[in-house]
Amino acid sequence: MLKSGSNLEKLLNAGKFVVCGEMSPPQSVDKDSIAKKCSYFKGYVDAVNLTDNQTAIVRMSSLVSSYYVLQGGVEPIMQMTCRDRNRLAMQSDILGAYALGVRNLLCLTGDYQCFGNHPQAKGVFDLDSTQLIQMVKKMRDEKVFMSGDEMKHEPRMFIGGAANPFGEPFEFRVLNLAKKIEAGADFIQTQPVFDVPAFERWMSAVRDEGMDKQVYIIAGVMPVRSIKALLYMKESVPGMRIAQDYIKRMESITDKEAAMEEGIKIAVEVMQQVSKIPGVAGLHIMPVMWESVTPRLVEEAGLLPRPEVPADESFGVSDAAEPVGGEMEK
Amino acid sequence: MSKTSEKIAEFIQKRPRLHACATFAENCVKKPIFGCQDCGECILSYTAFTCPMRCPKQMRNGPCGGTREDGHCEVYPERYCRWWLIYRRAKKLRRLKKLRKLQKAHDWRLEHTSAWLNVFAGKIEPPSWGNE
Repeated sequence: MLKSGSNLEKLLNAGKFVVCGEMSPPQSVDKDSIAKKCSYFKGYVDAVNLTDNQTAIVRMSSLVSSYYVLQGGVEPIMQMTCRDRNRLAMQSDILGAYALGVRNLLCLTGDYQCFGNHPQAKGVFDLDSTQLIQMVKKMRDEKVFMSGDEMKHEPRMFIGGAANPFGEPFEFRVLNLAKKIEAGADFIQTQPVFDVPAFERWMSAVRDEGMDKQVYIIAGVMPVRSIKALLYMKESVPGMRIAQDYIKRMESITDKEAAMEEGIKIAVEVMQQVSKIPGVAGLHIMPVMWESVTPRLVEEAGLLPRPEVPADESFGVSDAAEPVGGEMEK
Repeated sequence: MSKTSEKIAEFIQKRPRLHACATFAENCVKKPIFGCQDCGECILSYTAFTCPMRCPKQMRNGPCGGTREDGHCEVYPERYCRWWLIYRRAKKLRRLKKLRKLQKAHDWRLEHTSAWLNVFAGKIEPPSWGNE
């Protein structure tokens, strides 16, 4: 029996290798830009992440952007961070998201506010990501709010969590994943892989614990446009691991166009290598502000055509839980 | 906790001066030694006696994704990541299994109250003693 009935869940459940994209909502009210970006994803990926004020920079809310993406014919994965909301606001947003037709939710702690454009802000961090996962699961499976109060129609979300296979303390990262699984994560999206052997080591530790059977692991891939971007990731984004080989390759190219080509080439290589690792259920392409490259990456990595979403015979929707946004999805 | 302990906690909590003394005694021990942040819902016994509430994001279940390669915090590069310290100490003290416990969401009403009295009053779980 499916938990949420989202396309992402159906595909993963059917054993298909999924591809997720990522879109940054606009830093304005420009909703047309979302509709435009949908064309980069439709038919090329199975679902798209909508970031929630990523790197603590104010953007259109992930909830509203998810709605527009849905209208554009692409399945959204709404991201939700613990930085900007307390448990009340998060629960009310989850109810609203489900009512609008959002079925996938990625639960994150969120980048610290000092890295964004409002560094003076007070961070909320009422819950941490693990507790957020727990809360969403409780809402879905037990039909209760965090307080224990019951609700009539529950939000049936496919719950995602994040994992960083490269961060210190390395051994703790596997334990942390186990905690997220216990809390109720259905799928895991990882930090971008720039060091395949390190990712392989983490995956083998995950497989040793049998966790690849309990949760769908979707590996992150990030194409970079220039050596500057790659070095920025290495030096300014803590918890990232970048293979020296990629830096050397990018460094050797001075031409802008050629550097972009090399960046795409590296990303495709990573995608092909990572997809061969046992236990990896899919890829998550996260080109920061470079969404237009997604179709090319998917094509060059040999991941086209995308599989058909299986019919949902097993999803027993009771009359009460009939998705409110059902008409929208058709 | 037993009825008696609840009565003791109630007795102390009803008397402001006594209550202040008890809180002061707790702070004297826990602040300098464990870096206690006075959350009132102490989980030090699960986190290798290292207070997780000093983490800028107040993560009670594990580190965020931003621990630096040298084990420092992404927000305050001059400090160690709390969870990096917790993991290191838990390994040394053979308390790794205790890190595995899912810590439920913090009850913010308990902030700046005495965790010891809260244990006695039965408001929070007692500490978990003993190694693996």
